[in-house]
Formats: sequence, structure tokens, C-alpha cells
Amino acid sequence: MEGNIAAATPVIAVEALEKRYGEVEAVRGVSFSIWPGTCVGLLGPNGAGKTTIMRMIMALAQPTSGYVRLFGKAPSALGRAMRERVGLVPQEDNLDPDLSVRQNLEVYGRYFGRPAGELAERVPLLLEFMQLIERANAQVMQLSGGMKRRLIIARALIANPELIILDEPTTGLDPQARVLIWRRLVDLKREGKTLLLTTHYMDEAQRLCDRIIIIDGGKVLDEGSPQELIDRHARAYVVEIPKPLPPGFVEDGLERNDIGDAVLYYTNDPSEVTRRLPPHATYTTRGANLEDVFLRLTGHSLRQGA
Amino acid sequence: MSAPIGAIPVNRYSRAVWRRNALVWRRLIGPSLATNVLDPLIFLFAFGYGLGAVIDQVGGLNYLSFVVPGMMGYAAMFAASFESTVSTYARFHMQRTWDAILATPVTLTELMLGEMSWAATKGLFSCCCVILVGSVWGGIGNPWGVVLALPVLALGAVCFASCGLVVTAHAKSWDIFAYFFTFWVTPMFMFSGTFFEVARFPWFIQVIAWILPMTHLIAVVRPLTAGLALDPLAALGHVSYLAALAVAAFCFARLKFGARLFG
Repeated sequence: MEGNIAAATPVIAVEALEKRYGEVEAVRGVSFSIWPGTCVGLLGPNGAGKTTIMRMIMALAQPTSGYVRLFGKAPSALGRAMRERVGLVPQEDNLDPDLSVRQNLEVYGRYFGRPAGELAERVPLLLEFMQLIERANAQVMQLSGGMKRRLIIARALIANPELIILDEPTTGLDPQARVLIWRRLVDLKREGKTLLLTTHYMDEAQRLCDRIIIIDGGKVLDEGSPQELIDRHARAYVVEIPKPLPPGFVEDGLERNDIGDAVLYYTNDPSEVTRRLPPHATYTTRGANLEDVFLRLTGHSLRQGA
Repeated sequence: MSAPIGAIPVNRYSRAVWRRNALVWRRLIGPSLATNVLDPLIFLFAFGYGLGAVIDQVGGLNYLSFVVPGMMGYAAMFAASFESTVSTYARFHMQRTWDAILATPVTLTELMLGEMSWAATKGLFSCCCVILVGSVWGGIGNPWGVVLALPVLALGAVCFASCGLVVTAHAKSWDIFAYFFTFWVTPMFMFSGTFFEVARFPWFIQVIAWILPMTHLIAVVRPLTAGLALDPLAALGHVSYLAALAVAAFCFARLKFGARLFG
């Protein structure tokens, strides 16, 4: 909790949440809270249950058991009032293909019951904010993947929501497109918005999120700030030694993780590992990151998830 | 643009959905007007020369006066049915437009009301094109009767649109719509008194005909536009049937969509 007194009620509270689709247990007892003004990342591989959790938060899917509180109330009880305060950026592109860029925002604003005058002011501002103003009259079909993503984010902001839920906002985009979106998300955070995002990019999570909730197989494995998680589960450094390991290398007492074509050693002092190596042995040393945390927690890499 | 049909509880959220469809359609208004006017012209030309020459009188009317109200009903039925099935399915399933809308304050019922009233609007538009053609070509005996028939035709369009939504709610692919046209649209074209008198068919076809909403719609519209006597009690019965079916179909579709989308 960020020590803000006004933040007495979490924006989202999820308690023992479970969702079964027939035999498939998509979510298996997930609990967490998200406080106002923070950016929280749900980090996990595809199929970890991230999207299902988001759908339950938005009352687009019913939990099998457990509950969701949004702004302190059950989302279904909040009904329309809840939807007015949340902007959703879904994973798939569901922009309106029959409408232009500008019309997508205007029509979406009407779904929020916003008057025409307000939308006439707000739509150009949002197009400017997401750098789409030159494409205002283009058809959605003519946009690049990055522009579509930006338009979906602009659309989610149409009613000036307090909470923005983003499901894999930058998946499949090139680096420049991702950086632009990240910058805008940081701007939104500065404005005091609460952000919940799912991602399987650790750099994205590390860069944007105050807190990270690591999810795999429908369960929360751990949560904390990026640095807390690294301190808890990895060491400051990772020494990576490709296989086959050099002859005579003794790994007794070292924390190791076999990733197939190489072995990772976690240490606060890289020389503890490197001094055991014969001269001219190949190795790389780097600072630990969330990928290492994820590997330690699950035994498999983020990107090769189901 | 405002609420298309005053009788339906249309709020600003369902109106936003209606307006979305109207906005997209506005670009197509030219071709749409042309086809909707040309269609009945071709029909009238073909039937007028093909059948009108052979048939002198049907049910106490000349064939033109008999067939024009039938075509009004048919136009309303076809356009509303098509819009609430094939076009709505595209928005619901293929384009994921519904997913985007359901993440906003618009509720599923309002979304469906918006789609349904839009489909009904298109039905009424098609119907008005037939009236336009009929008033020039002939076949409307009583112009004031048309004014009275319009609200009934609107109710019919609402009923057809709601029935279409039931099919869309169950659709898992495009295939189901082939059955819908074969077993629902075509029988209403053939057996509901559109082009032939219902009483001419064998009894079991007549039973089916009176289950179909189109038969009830035509039974009210034809006497009105032709200026024949209309039993008020019978008219009330037909209108009640259309209204009840519309409500039942809409509620049934709402249940099915709810289970499918939020299950």
C-alpha cells in the first residue's frame, strides 16, 4: 500500500477468485488488491488466466467462486456506474471496421452517454494524445498495427476513466510503437489514473508497473515491486554459462537453473562463480531481471508458456 | 436522428447503438434506396403482367390492390429479418463490435434493443419504398388506410427483427441462416397471403400460415390499404399476436445471448 490516506478503498479487490470452463480450471484461487493511482501488472505466459481475471473484473464473465470488488462494490451491483469509470483495452482488435478513426471515438463516446458537445472537444484531444490526428479521417482498415493499438487506447480514454484495464497493450508491435504507448501510459499514471495491465513482456512490466503480480497456471505465484521480486527470488546478478559446462567446473553451493542450452547461476557477487571457471571459458554476466524471477518461480520461461 | 419507434422504451444507450448502424448505412443510402425501389418495381412488373393478366379478382380485389399490401409486408419482413440475422451476426461474432460495446455502459438489453430497432427501421424503410412505388404504379385504394397501416407495419417489423435475433443468438456459424431463410422467410413469402389467398391452401398449410406472424400482419394491412371492411376485434387479435410474439422472441433471444456472452 502506497501510504495514501485517501486510498483507503482499493480500486480493485479480488478474493479467492476461481473460474472453471467445464473441466478447465482457468483461474484457481487468485487474490490481490489494486490501490488508486498505481500501475499493477499481471505477468504470466499465454494461458495463465490473465484475460479471464480481467473479464471477471469487468463483470463480462461470472466467477465460479470467490468475488471481485470494484470501487468497493460487486461489479454487477455497480452496473452502469462501474462501466462509466473504467476504460478497457482488450487484447484483440475490436475497433469498428465500418467507421473512420474519428467516428470510432465519437460513436464510442455515445455508448458512454456523452453529449455531442463534449465529444467534439475531447475526440481531437485524444487523437492528438495518441498521435493519430493526421489519420483522423482514415478508415480503420488502413491503419498499421501500432496505430490500431493507439486508437483502442484512445477509445478506452473517451469518458476519462479512473481505472484503465489493458490486456497485452503492446503484443505484436515493433519497438518504436511500443515505446510510444509506454510513454502515454506513464503520462496517464502521472495524471493519477489507476492502471491494470497484463503482459508477458518483462521489460514492459519492469518499466511501467509499481507492483507486479506473477501468475501461472491460474494461480498467483508472488507479488511485489519489480525490485522486491528480484531481491526475493533472484540475486543481483546472473552468470550464464553455455553448455556443455567447462570440465572441472564445480558448482557446489551455487544457486543454479538449467534452461536447456545453458545454466544460469544466481549470485550477488559474480566473481564467486567466475573464479571457479577455467581461463578462457565463455560466460556472460548481467543484472537479474523479472525473467529470472519468473524462471525461478515456475521453472519455465515466460515466453514459452502454453 | 432520434428514436426510430416511439413505442419501444428506447433510451440514449440503445439509441447510440441505433445511431452507429445508421451512421454506417448513411454511406450506402444511394444504392439502398435504388434497390429498395427497384425491387418492388420488378415484382410489380412481373406479377402485374404475368399473373395480373390471368387473374381478374382475388378476394374481391383486383390483383394489383391485392399484391401491393402483400409486398409492403414482405419488404418489411425481408429487410428486418436480414438485418437482425446476417448483419447482426457479423457485428456480434465476426467484427466483435458487440464485445467492444459491452465493455461500455451499454447493457446487453440496450444493445439488443438498438440492433432490433435498427433492423425494424430498415424494414420500415423498405416498406415505405413499396408504398412509394405503389402510390405511383397503383394498388393503393385507400391512402388514409396506408397511414393507419404504417404503425402496424412498424410493429410487424419489430416482430420480424426480434424473431431474427433469436436465430442470431443461437448461430454458431453462417449455416443456420440458410435454414432460417428456407423454413421461416420463404414460407412467409409463399403461404402468408402475400401473393395468394391463405384460404386457397390445404388446411395443414393454413395452420402453419396462421402461426407465421406475416399472415397476421397482412390480414390487417390489406383491408386498410384496399379500403375494405376490417373487423376491429379480429384486427386487435392480429396486432396482439404480433406484439406478443415480438416480446417473447426478444426475451428468449436476450436469455440466450446472456448465457452465451457472460457464461
